Amino acid sequence: MTQDTAITAGSAQQKKRTTLLAKFWQWEASGILVALIALMIVLSFMTDNFLSTYNMSVVARQAAFVGLVALGQTLVLLVGGIDLSVGAAAGLSAIVGSLMLTMFGVNPYLVLPLTMLFGMCLGFVNGFFIAGLRLNPFIVTLATWEIFAGITMVITKGYPIRPLGETFGYFGKGEILSVPIPVLIFLVSGIFLIWLLTQTKFGRNIFAVGGNRDAAVLVGIRAKVVEFAVFGLAGIFAALAGILFASRMDAGQPSVGEGWLMGAITAAILGGTSLRGGQGSIIGTMLGAMLLTVLANGTVLLNVSGFWQRVIVGCVVLIAVLVDLLRRRN
Amino acid sequence: MVNFIFEARDVAKSYGVVHALKGVSIGIGEGEVHAIIGENGAGKSTLMGIFCGRLRPTSGTLHRNGDPISFNVPLDAQKAGISIAPQEINLVPDLTVFENVMLGAHETAGILIDWKKTRATAIRHLLEIDETISPSAKVSTLSKAQQQLVQIARAAATSARILILDEPTAALTSRETDKLFAYIKGFKSTGGSVFYISHRLNEILLLSDRISVLRDGTYVGELDPKTTTKDEMVRKMAGRIVGRGNPAPHTGLENREVVLKVERLTRYGEFANVSFELHKGEILGVSGLVGAGRTEMAKCIFGLTRPDAGNVELFGKKLDNRTPFGCIEQGLVYLPEERKQEGIFPLLSIAENMSMPTLGRFTGPLHMRTSEMMREVDGFVKRLGIKIGSPKDLITSLSGGNQQKVIIGRWLMQNSRVLILDEPTRGIDVAAKFEIQNELRRFTDNEGLSIIFISSELEEVLDVSDRILVMHEGQVKGIPSAKAATQESLLQLAMS
Repeated sequence: MTQDTAITAGSAQQKKRTTLLAKFWQWEASGILVALIALMIVLSFMTDNFLSTYNMSVVARQAAFVGLVALGQTLVLLVGGIDLSVGAAAGLSAIVGSLMLTMFGVNPYLVLPLTMLFGMCLGFVNGFFIAGLRLNPFIVTLATWEIFAGITMVITKGYPIRPLGETFGYFGKGEILSVPIPVLIFLVSGIFLIWLLTQTKFGRNIFAVGGNRDAAVLVGIRAKVVEFAVFGLAGIFAALAGILFASRMDAGQPSVGEGWLMGAITAAILGGTSLRGGQGSIIGTMLGAMLLTVLANGTVLLNVSGFWQRVIVGCVVLIAVLVDLLRRRN
Repeated sequence: MVNFIFEARDVAKSYGVVHALKGVSIGIGEGEVHAIIGENGAGKSTLMGIFCGRLRPTSGTLHRNGDPISFNVPLDAQKAGISIAPQEINLVPDLTVFENVMLGAHETAGILIDWKKTRATAIRHLLEIDETISPSAKVSTLSKAQQQLVQIARAAATSARILILDEPTAALTSRETDKLFAYIKGFKSTGGSVFYISHRLNEILLLSDRISVLRDGTYVGELDPKTTTKDEMVRKMAGRIVGRGNPAPHTGLENREVVLKVERLTRYGEFANVSFELHKGEILGVSGLVGAGRTEMAKCIFGLTRPDAGNVELFGKKLDNRTPFGCIEQGLVYLPEERKQEGIFPLLSIAENMSMPTLGRFTGPLHMRTSEMMREVDGFVKRLGIKIGSPKDLITSLSGGNQQKVIIGRWLMQNSRVLILDEPTRGIDVAAKFEIQNELRRFTDNEGLSIIFISSELEEVLDVSDRILVMHEGQVKGIPSAKAATQESLLQLAMS
């Protein structure tokens, strides 16, 4: 009798363990978390200084910039769109923010929110054409990408705007409890978006519109408003990344956002966000941004040529997609 | 014993732990129409998927003229003379009709396509089914019924000897259905064989030489269409006696309060001068052939499209510049015809699918009151008798009937007062259909809901409605009381 109970208890426990594991495996971001941890373990053995405080803070800071852009991109992908202009919007916002400081002498503490507001307006330009006029997001943002990048060059003629001053530099360089401020902002933004997506009506409506727009309209969701707002949010996060980077470099660089577009999309895809809309997670995107940055950092530490880095990133994306495919087949 | 020209022996198909088919043996003789019936999820589509090479059986064998044969891709099946016209429209919308008919079967001259010959062959196949479809029209400009016919022509154009027709008449008008039946009879007389899947039992009795019944992935038996009855078919399919319910139509509801008043509503090219009143607790059936403008009218009332003239009053209040959002706030909702495309959120759970329009009610200042929402969802799952595992499962894990119930529950949860239901029981098995019909009657009787019930099935409209709005080519032909109407009188009215 007691033996019987022991056996059932044992199998129950085992069952619980397997379901926990199955649950973890079902989670969209499980693959990327495992990959990230594995990569970090490998790097910590193969290099001396990967786990050093300094290197960690460099990695985290880099991840924060591209990660912020990726957060906005994730929202756009979730609602079923794509935003190719995020990098250019980050660049233009950084320049405008820098000009506020240098030309108009705006209070450094006001520059951050004002730049975000400007970024939102850039996003609303996309939103107007995509949500309002129902044009194809790929085409619209391809055009605004060119326009934003072009305006940046018109304003700066290719030269950086500098210096931005010690006070303003705090946002990009400063630390709180030895955590870089951009990293803190990235984490807070991530938590905010997780809350937004899971606990608010607006967040759930994003999934509904991205998953089936026609059905969403029929249940009374104002799809246009949702899409419009999402593009605005993408603009805000791009601008935030751009201005923080300017603060960090003490200069408004015209080329700020050039590498961020593909990084942002890659991070989102690595994190399990679907390009067809309606599926994805913020946590996945954050881990995706981390993985990308750790990869880049690892190649540097291992003295691998920078050119190889792109080959490796490409391979990682393919592997991620394959793993996802296998998981779905199971 | 018929000599089978094509046969499945002990075919099974599993998806992981789900057994869609559990060892089915079935065959077809030359010149035979073999009807396969069963509730949704009985395994009909899986079986046909195996026959046409789209799916590979987990175990079991296929035989053509007695020889074993296996299909890796649909092309293999086509080469063996088996072709399917699937239930869902599966055409390239931007190509012409004739190119769609010949897609992948172009007539060639060397490495070039012989367009003249291709066109001629396509037209020949098309003419056999329906002579009114223009071969050079783009498929996207055709009606749904016409697309269905093009699809059947395409299956025939592969010089198939065995045609699989999966719910071919779901979108057809009776005129087109007659044509299709004539075609099938012609095909039979040349020795062609047909697997015929349909929920419309009348058609099956009319058309088939043999009826096989599937239930839960197993073969439950064969029926002889000459001797069997619809009741027997339903019983075999369901494996239990289905309560017909047959809710009696109410009369005299005209004296009750008018909840929805539509006046001279017009959209050029779709419908004109539509006027009617809907009373509290009333079910107003809307009958008519495909293309009568019923869906268009419903979408216009719900504010998805703008009318050119006329107005809509809800509870005595004019609804100008309607939007779906505004209508829902006022208690008027629309349940679309295309459940898959416009009804469900395939990536979301059952609970979320049901509560999507109601989410605002559960949003607190800081968090969603999920447990409260789940309780309410649970309540409606029980009331509507929806068979589910957990409300957190994906909606796509449910059968069509249960999905539809979830979507109906969506609007009951919202406390809607007026429901416009567009073909709510299409493609749903008989038992679930009756359940939905009975449930709707209960809600109108007990809670004073009012319903506009659009259906192409005359029998259903007569069963469910109190009055019936008959439409034809965008015009209202009359609103007889259901008690006095018959299928014939409705048809006559429509054609008058």
